[in-house]
Amino acid sequence: MPPKRIIIDTDPGIDDALAFLLALASPEIKLEALTTTQGNVTLETATRNALAVLELANANDIPVVAGSVVPLVQPLRASAHVHGESGIGNSKLPTPKSKPREGHAVDYLIERVLAEPNELGIFPIGPLTNIAMAIRKEPKFAKAVKELVIMGGAVLEHGNVTPQAEFNIYVDPHAAHIVFHSGIPITLIPLDVTHKCLLEQIHIDRLLRIDSPITRFIRSAVETCFAHSESYGGKGCALHDPLTLATVIAPELLTLKELRVDVDHSGGVSMGKTFGDFLGKTGKPANMRVALQARGDDFVELFLQRMETLAKTISV
Amino acid sequence: MKHILLDTDPGIDDSLAILLALASPEISLEGLSIVHGNCSLEQATTNALSILELANASHIPVAVGCELPLVQPSLLAPETHGNTGLGYAKLPGPRTKPQVQHGCDFLIERIMSAPGEVTLVAIGPLTNVALAIRQEPRIVQSLKELIIMGGAIRYEGNTTALAEFNTYADPHAAHIVYHAGIPTTLVPLDVTYQCVLTQGDVDRLLRLDSPLTRFIADATRFYMEFHDEYQGVQGCVINDPLALALTFAPELCDYRELPVDVDISGGVSLGKTIGDFYNYNKKPANMKVALGVRPRDFIELFLERMEKLAQRIDSIENKIGTQKNADSR
Repeated sequence: MPPKRIIIDTDPGIDDALAFLLALASPEIKLEALTTTQGNVTLETATRNALAVLELANANDIPVVAGSVVPLVQPLRASAHVHGESGIGNSKLPTPKSKPREGHAVDYLIERVLAEPNELGIFPIGPLTNIAMAIRKEPKFAKAVKELVIMGGAVLEHGNVTPQAEFNIYVDPHAAHIVFHSGIPITLIPLDVTHKCLLEQIHIDRLLRIDSPITRFIRSAVETCFAHSESYGGKGCALHDPLTLATVIAPELLTLKELRVDVDHSGGVSMGKTFGDFLGKTGKPANMRVALQARGDDFVELFLQRMETLAKTISV
Repeated sequence: MKHILLDTDPGIDDSLAILLALASPEISLEGLSIVHGNCSLEQATTNALSILELANASHIPVAVGCELPLVQPSLLAPETHGNTGLGYAKLPGPRTKPQVQHGCDFLIERIMSAPGEVTLVAIGPLTNVALAIRQEPRIVQSLKELIIMGGAIRYEGNTTALAEFNTYADPHAAHIVYHAGIPTTLVPLDVTYQCVLTQGDVDRLLRLDSPLTRFIADATRFYMEFHDEYQGVQGCVINDPLALALTFAPELCDYRELPVDVDISGGVSLGKTIGDFYNYNKKPANMKVALGVRPRDFIELFLERMEKLAQRIDSIENKIGTQKNADSR
């Protein structure tokens, strides 16, 4: 099978960075580009981080295109308390030498997708602003995207930014609404499954047996994430964004359910809540496949093995 | 001379606004961006091109924008504007084509190429303007002024009990635009519903026998039937030309600086525009709202300019006709 060609739309972000590394370490995947958006960090920081992580992995031939500065309707909200001031924990990657491509991510996505209809999958792992804008700007976009694999939402699980809402969806619930109802084939990777995939200190110790900029980067990146989860009695750092790639490299680890999912954007206490119509109360057809169960430990093991392989090829 | 971009969904009263722009020597109409609204995007584009041809103004670029509102489902208004969007008027299919460039990109390029020069008049749902702001935030600083036909501040709605059509059709876009920080003038139903074009006004125009006056009569006849049937108005309300007229005749209205917001919470007030007259929310004014108008002054101005435009077009047509006769000899 030829590798699956994907574009990651991202707001790096600790786990975003880990997702790039996993994509680069996976022969089943060909990472074609990164498009950036605000979210975990500002657009400027997100774009800088995307370039810096690609350089770390000797992959700066992959284009990076900057996108949305603010969510569609909601005010800007960044989450430095989770991801650290730099956006990637305590890591201090050098200022990237490469630059983002000219132009706007929305136009880049439209251009790439229309040039090769039904060839490219998009993996949005930040707020959905860029994808929503592309859908509204070019009505042909939705029919030409092969699939979306979205990290976002909390369907039966509790939220991580309000009691009910997950961060990516909460930051731009209107964009999520547009994307969910666009007709594009969607796989949703919500907190229900990402909370099962926890990177812990013991895993970091194992990675550090290989002396490589990659393993050192991962350690410094997840430090703030460990501290954050300890602050509320949790353990480890959830591999939210990397888990989207399991749909390609280890689909057997996920249990998917066809479901009608909507998002509350009415502005009350449930703002940004994703809810599934499990009993068919709306009478409307499913609009996505939702991962509701995952073999988390197996995914973490796969992630570690791939990082070990990548680290061995990049050692300075 | 003021540089004007018009974002529009023609639409009967939109077409009258386009004609008023062409008839007004104080302003230069630099282009149209088209949006869904009164009729489908495709129909609105055809109508815009046809109206420009009717007025010998096909050199003015037309760029096609957004087909759907941002978040809400599509809402069109065939009962108000007829199935073609132009009432009973039948214009020939246009020979010209729209620009290849997207309407949002067209707005961005024109605004960024002349910082502080361009006045944008938005007389349809605000989808194009909102998307342009989100794609290129610097247009907020570069726009000289934004004049919006939309909203109902202390007036009943014309689409729901509370909401005006343009705002209701894309309330999320209105929310983005209202809070963007552009110097904005709002022209709500509070003033546009005072501006009624009567049958007597149309009869006066028809004393000039011209394709332009016949177009106005055919388009507005449908509008008058609608306003009579649904709203008990004798004649028809022409919302959009008033917004356009304020680019060169701001004295037609009285204004108040107000903090204005729009309800996007999805209840019965969806799309309602709210003016905070007593500043309960302690927020600064984000726009100038037209709350008073001298309606007959406006209608008189509109009629005079339509008469002049009709005469100008006919004299050009005659010249071309004479030239053709001379050529054929």
